[in-house]
Amino acid sequence: MSLADYDAVGVTLKASTYGVVWFLVLLNLVPLLFIFSVSFMPPTEFFGAPHIIPYEPTLEAWTSGFAELKDNLINSFLIGSGTALLALAITIPGAYAFARKEFYGKKLGFYAIILAMMFPYILLVIPIMGLWNDLGLYNTIPGMILAYQVFVAPFAIWILRDFFETLPKDIEEAAQVYGCTQFSAFVRVILPLAAPGIVAVGFLAFLTGWNDFLFANLLTTGTGPVPAVPVLYGTIGGGSGERVYWGKLMAETLIIGTPPTVLYLVARNYLESAFTV
Amino acid sequence: MSRNTTTQRETERTETDPPEESMNTTTDQTQAETNSDGDHIRIESLRKTFDDGAIVACDDVNIDIDEGEFVILVGPSGCGKTTTLRCIAGLEEPDQGQILIDGEDITGRKSKDRNLAFVFQSIALFPHMSVRKNIRFGLDMNTDLGSDEKSQRVEDVAETLGLAEMLDRKPSALSGGQQQRVSLGRAMVMEPKAFLLDEPFSALDANLRDEMRVEVKKIQRDLNTAMVFVTHDQEEAMTLGDKIVVMNDGHVQQIGTPYEIYNDPKNRFVADFIGSPSPNLVECTVERTEDGLAFVSEFCSIPATEEQIEHVEHRVGETLVYGIRPEYLDIVPDGGAFVADLDVVEPLGDRDAIHLSANGTSLSAVAPQGEVARGTDRVNIDIQTEESWLFEQDGTRIV
Repeated sequence: MSLADYDAVGVTLKASTYGVVWFLVLLNLVPLLFIFSVSFMPPTEFFGAPHIIPYEPTLEAWTSGFAELKDNLINSFLIGSGTALLALAITIPGAYAFARKEFYGKKLGFYAIILAMMFPYILLVIPIMGLWNDLGLYNTIPGMILAYQVFVAPFAIWILRDFFETLPKDIEEAAQVYGCTQFSAFVRVILPLAAPGIVAVGFLAFLTGWNDFLFANLLTTGTGPVPAVPVLYGTIGGGSGERVYWGKLMAETLIIGTPPTVLYLVARNYLESAFTV
Repeated sequence: MSRNTTTQRETERTETDPPEESMNTTTDQTQAETNSDGDHIRIESLRKTFDDGAIVACDDVNIDIDEGEFVILVGPSGCGKTTTLRCIAGLEEPDQGQILIDGEDITGRKSKDRNLAFVFQSIALFPHMSVRKNIRFGLDMNTDLGSDEKSQRVEDVAETLGLAEMLDRKPSALSGGQQQRVSLGRAMVMEPKAFLLDEPFSALDANLRDEMRVEVKKIQRDLNTAMVFVTHDQEEAMTLGDKIVVMNDGHVQQIGTPYEIYNDPKNRFVADFIGSPSPNLVECTVERTEDGLAFVSEFCSIPATEEQIEHVEHRVGETLVYGIRPEYLDIVPDGGAFVADLDVVEPLGDRDAIHLSANGTSLSAVAPQGEVARGTDRVNIDIQTEESWLFEQDGTRIV
């Protein structure tokens, strides 16, 4: 072992690794820090010279932001969890069938579903708006939940099918030999083993319902169940160029970002085992 | 097809031969026509195909398994042994044929309603459950025993298998051997009609495998429950089985005790498959000599025994296959039937496998350890002709 080698290669490698890591961390952390600090500033401060620590911290932005978002957060929560639950209800059996069953048109059906995911969903807004209007789903929470299935379901089927396929068939057969029907084997053995995949898919479906702007904005009106994200859009003046209250915008951003973060922390173990396999 | 049915008939005939089985088999023969109560498990003309009949996994499989019998299904990979086992377990549905337990047809029943326990090659424990829950799973799902009774059975089985300390661990915290024990325990608590084991030890290392073999055989003796054991390892088959079923290409080749299978193979395949090193099988021509008949091959002429003469007297000039196990080729200082070049000496422990070639034909012999000195390049070989077999060129045994 030579010292020269250690110096040249070892240190450079380590330094550059840390360099990249720090760069990426700062890239995320610096804006977040500003968001956080601005949310506690009165308007006079954030329109003045940029600084990190507020001179006169205030909760005004948080209280007004929360007051404005309260009802919409509930809508968002209902839409997000509804989207997740419905997606799981549809795609768990669907993905299982694609993973384990033989049926006519299986391959074609699967590709058709994947293709639906490739379709630019902005093009779907217009037909969906028309259709939902006719069906009485326009401007309703169930309408939103259903609309999100268009792109949540294919993606969920894809992930879950792969997940079910990796589970050994023998385990299911063992359950059947030792007293399960195919269905109870699925419930008792396959579902618990697929829990990481199911939690991950549920989480991503929830995020879609929670964070989406396009459908949220176009499929609801001010009188209906508007989710939180379009309200944020209202706070920046709907892009009209009017004076933006950055403090409130930042507070609202953080408020909207908190529930998914908490959910992530709760589901973290599951998510990690789902996506590192 | 026709060849197969003759093999089958022959098999049934020989089953009555060995004296130690005569009690079972005579009742078998008579009861088979009236009812099949004498059989514990009976598989009748089982056929299973895959891909709409394109692949025939097993065909015309007939096996009787008596109470407390240890039956081995052995054969090369893809011979249909696992498919047969899976059909018995109800994990595959046969295209044709019946599976009877105590005379009752269970062919169409679900796995869970057959009261058979299956031990998987891949072990297949439920990874999200503790060892205790794994063992208890079948009792919880399929019986209405009281909670105390279930716990008692689990404890007893764990005790037998040396798992008592590990009941509350997850399977992933156990070694491979322990996991396979749990898998056995999961089968044992059910007190099934029969255990079905699909190459259960193939994932274990050699020492552990030997240990588990002994253990399984002991457990099987203690419980006196029928056991059907699938393996591709002929040595495992020989050491474990009361009855060995040799399969190839989806067909049963021979059914018999380990000794019958070894000493008296029904066809060339069985002869070749069982035993290590493999027997010598040499094509030769029947020729008339001064003292009777001889089998003449490229490198020697072997006199026929009297029994052999009876069978091939009328076939002078035809080509047959002469078979003899390596242990019946004796290395002699001089004389013998022929001289061969020594290729390799392979130590097997107490004996050496001697690989020879004589005029281009590879042969093997077995000699006690160190008997053939290193550096020997030519040896004289004598043949114990009374231990030889004769096969038709298509593999059927003549004598």
